[in-house]
Amino acid sequence: MVSVINTVDTSHEDMIHDAQMDYYGTRLATCSSDRSVKIFDVRNGGQILIADLRGHEGPVWQVAWAHPMYGNILASCSYDRKVIIWREENGTWEKSHEHAGHDSSVNSVCWAPHDYGLILACGSSDGAISLLTYTGEGQWEVKKINNAHTIGCNAVSWAPAVVPGSLIDQPSGQKPNYIKKFASGGCDNLIKLWKEEEDGQWKEEQKLEAHSDWVRDVAWAPSIGLPTSTIASCSQDGRVFIWTCDDASGNTWSPKLLHKFNDVVWHVSWSITANILAVSGGDNKVTLWKESVDGQWVCISDVNKGQGSVSASVTEGQQNEQ
Amino acid sequence: MEKMSRVTTALGGGVLTGRTMHCHLDAPANAISVCRDAAQVVVAGRSIFKIYAIEEEQFVEKLNLRVGRKPSLNLSCADVVWHQMDENLLATAATNGVVVTWNLGRPSRNKQDQLFTEHKRTVNKVCFHPTEAHVLLSGSQDGFMKCFDLRRKDSVSTFSGQSESVRDVQFSIRDYFTFASTFENGNVQLWDIRRPDRCERMFTAHNGPVFCCDWHPEDRGWLATGGRDKMVKVWDMTTHRAKEMHCVQTIASVARVKWRPECRHHLATCSMMVDHNIYVWDVRRPFVPAAMFEEHRDVTTGIAWRHPHDPSFLLSGSKDSSLCQHLFRDASQPVERANPEGLCYGLFGDLAFAAKESLVAAESGRKPYTGDRRHPIFFKRKLDPAEPFAGLASSALSVFETEPGGGAMRWFVDTAERYALAGRPLAELCDHNAKVARELGRDQVAQTWTMLRTIYCSPGLLPTANLSHSMGKGGSCGLQLMNSFNLKDMAPGLGSETRLDRSKGDARSDTVLLDSSATLITNEDNEETEGSDVPADYLLGDVEGEDDELYLLDPEHTHPEEPECVLPQEAFPLRHEIVDTPPGPEHLQDKADSPHVSGSEADVASLAPVDSSFSLLSVSHALYDSRLPPDFFSMLVRDMLHFYAEQGDVQMAVSVLIVLGERVRKDIDEQTQEHWYTSYIDLLQRFRLWNVSNEVVKLSTSRAVSCLNQASTTLHVNCSHCKRPMSSRGWVCDRCHRCASMCAVCHHVVKGLFVWCQGCSHGGHLQHIMKWLEGSSHCPAGCGHLCEYS
Repeated sequence: MVSVINTVDTSHEDMIHDAQMDYYGTRLATCSSDRSVKIFDVRNGGQILIADLRGHEGPVWQVAWAHPMYGNILASCSYDRKVIIWREENGTWEKSHEHAGHDSSVNSVCWAPHDYGLILACGSSDGAISLLTYTGEGQWEVKKINNAHTIGCNAVSWAPAVVPGSLIDQPSGQKPNYIKKFASGGCDNLIKLWKEEEDGQWKEEQKLEAHSDWVRDVAWAPSIGLPTSTIASCSQDGRVFIWTCDDASGNTWSPKLLHKFNDVVWHVSWSITANILAVSGGDNKVTLWKESVDGQWVCISDVNKGQGSVSASVTEGQQNEQ
Repeated sequence: MEKMSRVTTALGGGVLTGRTMHCHLDAPANAISVCRDAAQVVVAGRSIFKIYAIEEEQFVEKLNLRVGRKPSLNLSCADVVWHQMDENLLATAATNGVVVTWNLGRPSRNKQDQLFTEHKRTVNKVCFHPTEAHVLLSGSQDGFMKCFDLRRKDSVSTFSGQSESVRDVQFSIRDYFTFASTFENGNVQLWDIRRPDRCERMFTAHNGPVFCCDWHPEDRGWLATGGRDKMVKVWDMTTHRAKEMHCVQTIASVARVKWRPECRHHLATCSMMVDHNIYVWDVRRPFVPAAMFEEHRDVTTGIAWRHPHDPSFLLSGSKDSSLCQHLFRDASQPVERANPEGLCYGLFGDLAFAAKESLVAAESGRKPYTGDRRHPIFFKRKLDPAEPFAGLASSALSVFETEPGGGAMRWFVDTAERYALAGRPLAELCDHNAKVARELGRDQVAQTWTMLRTIYCSPGLLPTANLSHSMGKGGSCGLQLMNSFNLKDMAPGLGSETRLDRSKGDARSDTVLLDSSATLITNEDNEETEGSDVPADYLLGDVEGEDDELYLLDPEHTHPEEPECVLPQEAFPLRHEIVDTPPGPEHLQDKADSPHVSGSEADVASLAPVDSSFSLLSVSHALYDSRLPPDFFSMLVRDMLHFYAEQGDVQMAVSVLIVLGERVRKDIDEQTQEHWYTSYIDLLQRFRLWNVSNEVVKLSTSRAVSCLNQASTTLHVNCSHCKRPMSSRGWVCDRCHRCASMCAVCHHVVKGLFVWCQGCSHGGHLQHIMKWLEGSSHCPAGCGHLCEYS
């Protein structure tokens, strides 16, 4: 079911913490403890290093691609308390903005749906979440939610753009009235949902409680034809929950345990049509899950099976280097 | 609280116990030093000079060395050092340039022993010789280092660094005569104590001041240096030229560096600015600290490992006026917190997965590069119990595809490109799309298309008479449908149980309605199914016993759960023929034997699982109405579209929506349609299927969607006079207040379409220019140009 198509020789000098493909699936950005962010062209199974971005002074935890309608923009966050926004211009990648508004390691970055403009949410170990909004001409406006999560915020994920009421009634040319929402997970074992009020302030809308240890990742499912809102969360406690909300007001969320793993679960990632969830855990396994029609989540694949070939190819690669 | 529990370490005869603790000092500390018994610590600062006993639970003040009537500048300490051989001997460096030695063995309250006032400026560092009892070294801001013999009143020798200021001096632990000194200009010098005339060796270690250095306690050649450039470098001094072995990059400038006892590759650092934390680094893992102590609220000024052979206790003094004992076990470990894996679902259903390499190697049962000469040093994993995170971490990054042979989303692209959505009769569109789907191996979708064709094209062609022929025929017609909804080649376990539960209420009444024709139907049904190979394809397992009668199928075919049936493909092309022809009983019999029937039934099959209760209802109605107008299916089709959308196949939902057009549109609320459209268009754009996306936008009936094509088109107009962009209106410039485009013929402003000759750039209203050109090919503006318009 699962096979390796490409083993990327990243030549990172330390552990890789995140890998993200861009909107078109042609480029892969990786970030590592070695303070660098690298961008690879992975079209047709290739791996061409496009850029090696240096600028962080600590391990880089996460990277995020902005929607291509704003150009080629990548955000990265690091242990050095900084968020850097990189931009490609005329084929070269350069630092376009540096945000140093956090007092501790910044653990997660996530771009808002493109409909809202360029907005970046950053979750930090100082417990705060900051929202950077591009206001044009290289200026970024910062809003900060202090004490979003005590001890620290580990993950942020935006809700897909949904318009309350119909688009039809919107006068043309006027921006539709989006309700901006995102989810965050933190060291207080909670998942929180945040909503932008009409005055532009961010307010905690919901507190989702089910995990018994740090929440490591949250992923809001893309809304492709789905009538419900869905969030996946994973935690240090080894559990993965799927949260769904059926009512329009978005107030009642019910958790469903996808699986209890034996080790920390680090990441959850939705396929673009939101029907398959990839889960990666501390045992170095990736499993793929799909909801069956009776609402049960079943494991449809186990990437670990392909792992043998991974390590084999890695070793070969190294031997070739000798 | 486990975190604060005590740690006991046995060291040769002595035992060290303690916990993480701190005590408040009266004033900020500048430096600390530990007595060789590991039970006392001295804290020195501008206005503090005290000795504390390190007890199990707390620090206890033992002695205040600041005595005397008035505070002397000699007591303003920049550095303090406790002799590692003599428990009574201490030395301090004063900010006024004085070096003082202290003898704790003196009976009087004032323990001051000797006073050397040779340096002209602040003494930054004092250092005792590790083995010689009377030799003391000092380094000062004035650029000189002095060596004192404590038995004499003056310095034995003076070393000139030929540089501004000395930041640190350290005797080599192994080489009796050697010491290293670091300078503000970035240099490190190596001296032989017997040769004060010039240094043995000098090299530039850092960019900017080198604040500190420390010799490795075991490896005689290793010197760690820390600088303002935020780096810690480890040098191999045994070679002719100092060789940089490791380079650790910290967040802030490095004020102190101390090798961790018993851990070959670990060292502790603290900063004098910005950062208040103490870090322990594994020099082989230069980017992430192995441990971090976050107790201090202001910059840490002094760090010392409590015992030269114990790696777990670290003492520190800080500007926040506190003295701390840190337990390594209580340190926060950023490495442990760090996410070791990266995971990303790609566009084409591929997965990028980065994971720690050691884990990967271990999983495959491979020895993780132990001692293999062919591998570079950093791939070797030395198992060292004292170093829980031994070894350099590296990750392997792989891209997986979730299905073999072409990305999992390839079908999406192919389907999008090949589907026909408009421009042909409905039947053809359906057939074409069914063919496309079938060729891509998506039988379920293919069946849906053929079924749609059946529903929306065939019944209209069916003579009503044929349908209403007799109850029997109507019944058999309905039967086919009813049979089919047991047939499942959609996702197995389609939640049929809940659905059936729901349908029970409806179904009950159906039974009553069906009653009149029940006998006939049952007979025919048996006729049809028995003796044919069709039932083998049926999947009846999830039909509960009590529901069976509702389906009026022979109950012996209730197989337990079977794998979904794969239908013979050759059945499809003939399908409509079956439905088109009025099914007479004997006719039916024939077909029941042929595989064609299974085909036709299967077509309906994928409809049925969407909502069996509806199909039941419509069938029973059909029995009475004796005809099947497409409207009966509209609910079914609607549910089917919802089903596809929920399955993540919004492509199917939108394609059907476009192809069927008005036939279904009214049944689905606009918002949902719009949502599907936008989702699908978004997907198409991600796959760079601009043409398809455009076509979809064009064909969409939702107003909000079809205006998408206009929304992103912007016209930029510049004023022809001042060349500035015109903002509000297209025809008058806000800046030069002139009308931008005048018609050369009528001399009025052109507010709409403006045509102009590219040769002379004169132009005007389209109508006027056209008219003008009928009479003359010269420019109407009179510039003499022979205008050309194409």
